[in-house]
Amino acid sequence: MDLSFTPEQQAFRVELEAWLAGNLARPWNEEIRDPAHDSDSLVEVRRAWQRKLHEAGYLGMGWPAEWGGRGASVVEQAILEEALWRADAPQIPNFLGIDLLGPALIHHGSEAQRRRFIPKMLSADEIWCQGFSEPGAGSDLASLRTRAEPDGEHFRITGQKVWTTFGPWADWIFVLARTDAEDRYGGITFFLVPIDQPGVEVRPILQITGESEFGETFFDGALARREHVVGKVGEGWRIAMTVLGYERGVQTMAYPARFERYLADLVRGLRENGTLGRSDVRARLARLIVENQVMRSNGLRTLANLASGEAPGPESSIEKIFWSEYAKRQSETALDLLGPQAQLTIDARHARPDMDWAREFLWARAGTIYSGSSEIQRNIIAKRVLRMPTR
Amino acid sequence: MQFELDEDRSLLKQQTRELLERESPLEAARAVMEDAAEGYDKGLHASLAELGYLGLGLPEAEGGMGALALAAVLHEMGRVAFPGPYPDVLVAARALHDCGDESAQAFRDRVIAGEATCVLARRERLDDEPCEELETHFHDGRIEGTKQLVPFGAHVDAVLAEAREGLVLCERPAAGWEAAAQPTQDHAQRFAELRLSGPARPVAGAERASAILETVDLISALAAAAQLLGLCERALETTVAHTNEREAFGAPIGSFQALQHRCADMLLQTESTRSAVYRAAWAVDHEPELAPELVAVAKAWAGPAARSVCGEAIQLHGGVGFTWEYDPHVFFKRANTLDQLHGSTRSQLERVLRARGL
Repeated sequence: MDLSFTPEQQAFRVELEAWLAGNLARPWNEEIRDPAHDSDSLVEVRRAWQRKLHEAGYLGMGWPAEWGGRGASVVEQAILEEALWRADAPQIPNFLGIDLLGPALIHHGSEAQRRRFIPKMLSADEIWCQGFSEPGAGSDLASLRTRAEPDGEHFRITGQKVWTTFGPWADWIFVLARTDAEDRYGGITFFLVPIDQPGVEVRPILQITGESEFGETFFDGALARREHVVGKVGEGWRIAMTVLGYERGVQTMAYPARFERYLADLVRGLRENGTLGRSDVRARLARLIVENQVMRSNGLRTLANLASGEAPGPESSIEKIFWSEYAKRQSETALDLLGPQAQLTIDARHARPDMDWAREFLWARAGTIYSGSSEIQRNIIAKRVLRMPTR
Repeated sequence: MQFELDEDRSLLKQQTRELLERESPLEAARAVMEDAAEGYDKGLHASLAELGYLGLGLPEAEGGMGALALAAVLHEMGRVAFPGPYPDVLVAARALHDCGDESAQAFRDRVIAGEATCVLARRERLDDEPCEELETHFHDGRIEGTKQLVPFGAHVDAVLAEAREGLVLCERPAAGWEAAAQPTQDHAQRFAELRLSGPARPVAGAERASAILETVDLISALAAAAQLLGLCERALETTVAHTNEREAFGAPIGSFQALQHRCADMLLQTESTRSAVYRAAWAVDHEPELAPELVAVAKAWAGPAARSVCGEAIQLHGGVGFTWEYDPHVFFKRANTLDQLHGSTRSQLERVLRARGL
């Protein structure tokens, strides 16, 4: 057993933290409180931040050098994600492009596709969104019905995608569409589709937070070029499923780092309110700390297993349930312990200056639904880990 | 980085599993806890001593193998709900060692050799409040005081009693030993209220005692958390096997999603306990500055997790889960014993905050 980082990994962390101290102008928490900002200018802050990360060589670190990476190990990538959350850096706008599409192109795309799309994806000149889920195909993704029909040098795409994160700001969308109505899995193909064309319409979806980070995307005979099919026609499902596994482990330390920062904010608030000495407050605060430390232990274990060459397994379902359910408990507890002040939105008089608990409280309801709901994760655990019988 | 145990420790874990499967499988352990007056197999305790298991908690330079080895062994013991004072004696041997006193060292050697058993006697209150001032005191070569819930208090050969003046080694019957059985919800236990009034030997002054007890708290919390992990693991295995076999409505009940989701949650709790316990043990061996927090985290997590997993085991067994014949109650009871003792969940939560200066 060895849960320590190598001297090289520690040196990487030190170098990274120094870079962050010198390059992150102000934490995200301060950006969002700047009255000069609106949702579009905040996207530009994120775009500029992504460029800085890219220029410093911190994006796509696990990729081959040819594509801007440095062949970094999963441990170094996890250290990066952890440090970014600790520093409260803005989230990059192209995270879906870089986490999902980049690896798909590197492993399954053509040389021409890589040359055409990867540089602009990294530099944030082109923002990507993901077109997987549909109104009728969420947890049961393979039942998707958006169809693509060949038309000369193109395919014509018709249907509707939903929960297209960053859709309202995206230039391109990667889409799973049906090329064969009879073949449930083998009839799905992976397309790259430009959004700025007559057959595509993106409508923002107003979320329970009042924001519109998600959109729904309508395709009405939209054109996708044949050379923009990733892999072969009919390989879309397989590519999508393997791509979801490539980045496994990279985020494993990020969640506990993020929740640790929130805990620090909670402690500061309790100190200010003079309630840190109350025994009921102490017990609930300590429980949150315990759970987050256990989450970090699970993460270190996943990372250690990946680093020692074990194939990633269904333990990612455990991590997904753990962090997303924890996020609900943490924000609910924070509201209980801090009182109604924690309900104030950041623009309200007397709002807490450090942490937007009101938004976090609402956002936490999304985490247990997206990327495989808690119920789907439990199905995966029961079937693939516990091997319980199917009916 | 690597999560798997190294070769020596994984061999020790494997050997322990084989030994327990041979000498103390769950059925045998259950028979001993139900039928033997002392509640454990004294011959097996002697064998453990012979194999070196009693010295496992000593510093590595003195024959111990470190916290990871200790966790691995107690993890295996949890799997068979191993009955008897072994974990308490293990911790007492370490405390005797740390006393540095000559007569304590001599007694430590007898404990490690299996010639005598000794446990700590500390508790005076039966609620979960910290004890402000101990009643037990040592004066003119004599101990006077009453201790609660002394593990196997009527059967061990000696206790290391916490008194106002420090730690005092009290032998049976010389120390005026009067043990009254204190049966609890866990029928495997042989707790006793122990009244001491007689000659005894002081082995550590108050200041030294508090340093020794800090180590004791750490090791015994880790040992309990590791046993809780074993209980979770076994309760989950037993439950999944049962839901595969038991049929209702024409199908194995394990095919019903309501039960699958509950088993998935049991797995989540069990695997998280594994991560927490071994990371804490790793910290004791390699990152001592983090150990107080991480051990408290492991114990505070493992207790409620095991109570939940073992309680679910009863529920998912249905009616037979409530019978004495089936095993889940053995796990559930032990989980509760370990949750409340060796630093209760509540006290561990407080330790977590203190470790962070809060």
